[in-house]
Amino acid sequence: MGNSSKDDSANSGDASPGDVPPSDTSTYSEGEKVLAYHGPRIYEAKVQKAEIRKNEWRYFVHYLGWNKNWDEWVGESRLMKLTEENVVKQRSVDKKQGADKNVKSGRSNQAKAKSSTDAKVDKEDVKNNVSKGKKRKIDSGVEKGSGTVEKHVKIQIPAPLKKQLVDDWDFINQQDKLVKLPRSPTVDEILTKYLDYKSKKDSTGADSTGEVLKGIRCYFDKALPMMLLYKKERKQCSEAVVDNISPSTIYGAEHLLRLFVKLPELLAYVNIEEETLNRLQQKLLDFLKFLQKNQNTFFLSAYDGTKVSEGKGKGRDE
Amino acid sequence: MSSGGGAAKPKEEEQDGMSVHSPCKPPPSSASSLPKEQAQVELELRLLEALEIYPPIKLQGIHRHFVLYGLMEFLRKSFDRHFSSEEVLQLLDRFYNLEMMKTDDEEIEMLNHEEDFSLPQSYFVKEES
Repeated sequence: MGNSSKDDSANSGDASPGDVPPSDTSTYSEGEKVLAYHGPRIYEAKVQKAEIRKNEWRYFVHYLGWNKNWDEWVGESRLMKLTEENVVKQRSVDKKQGADKNVKSGRSNQAKAKSSTDAKVDKEDVKNNVSKGKKRKIDSGVEKGSGTVEKHVKIQIPAPLKKQLVDDWDFINQQDKLVKLPRSPTVDEILTKYLDYKSKKDSTGADSTGEVLKGIRCYFDKALPMMLLYKKERKQCSEAVVDNISPSTIYGAEHLLRLFVKLPELLAYVNIEEETLNRLQQKLLDFLKFLQKNQNTFFLSAYDGTKVSEGKGKGRDE
Repeated sequence: MSSGGGAAKPKEEEQDGMSVHSPCKPPPSSASSLPKEQAQVELELRLLEALEIYPPIKLQGIHRHFVLYGLMEFLRKSFDRHFSSEEVLQLLDRFYNLEMMKTDDEEIEMLNHEEDFSLPQSYFVKEES
């Protein structure tokens, strides 16, 4: 809802008030990721251009994950800094909008005015958080969330595999054990087995299945050291993955299954049409069922406990 | 966003290679080449349309297989026939030199920043069924 930006800035007393010329530097810089109001909702967006027009800063924004057709010029009052607190706000607005669809435009106005003042406070909060030792980059949480939530893949992991994941957690974090490497079958072998199994059943879909499996392998190799390891496994990994060896030729089903927990976040970076996304979801689910069916042969029933003494007390702190 | 190698290149050379098979029956030149050409144009138009959704820059880097999968599906839906990944890549090659493109993977914060795996709380809740 394109309420004229002047009203808002007058209310909030925050952004450039009407007749005073704007400062030389814009509040938002080109390339900066921001949160932007579009209608009653808040979306993640990127500032493409910033210009002074009619004595006001105007920003050309692209809504992330949305078609370029939606790109538009907006005033400062439509934007918020991308902070964790503002993202929380974004989510709560999302919820509210979901709850009742007949929102009066007045409400979004209020929310707008309020949030632009809050934005300043939020910045302080975030700073405090950071100094407490949370090294997390401010916008890292946002990339995942954003206004495209509805389009995210949902991967319902079958219950027996969920239990597998909990056992996996327990072995490593509670019992101080590790998965002995290299595993057999490896991730690569499991993927190949699945492709064989699928091509026998239905050769026409094999090509697209193959592409998806390659995608999984590619994600796995990149994601393993970055996000699929518990802290206690890091040392083992740095010893096992050397000389450009692909993790998918060493690790097995235990770690592959963890990837599926993270998969929705990764796939959120790819813009995929809804119908195709549904098909992809089916394919991923089918693969999980295959893992489940072979749970006894693919997954370890007991982890390796020999490294207990070595691993203890180490890596407590970083 | 600077996508390198965006230059379209004329596709004249490819045209020759298309009618290699059927040496015994030389096609009446104008009659058959016209629809064939039209089909090619249609194919290219659809591909370019698809690239709006699946940007070529994503064909390099970590997401490439899923983007390629998206393109395969897009064309399959449009023409109601199967497209292999090689076929799609060959088509793309008429417009882009994919190898020259640089990934935008650096923009993906979560993959450039080591973070310990943590199982979401919901997994620890006992589920009936």
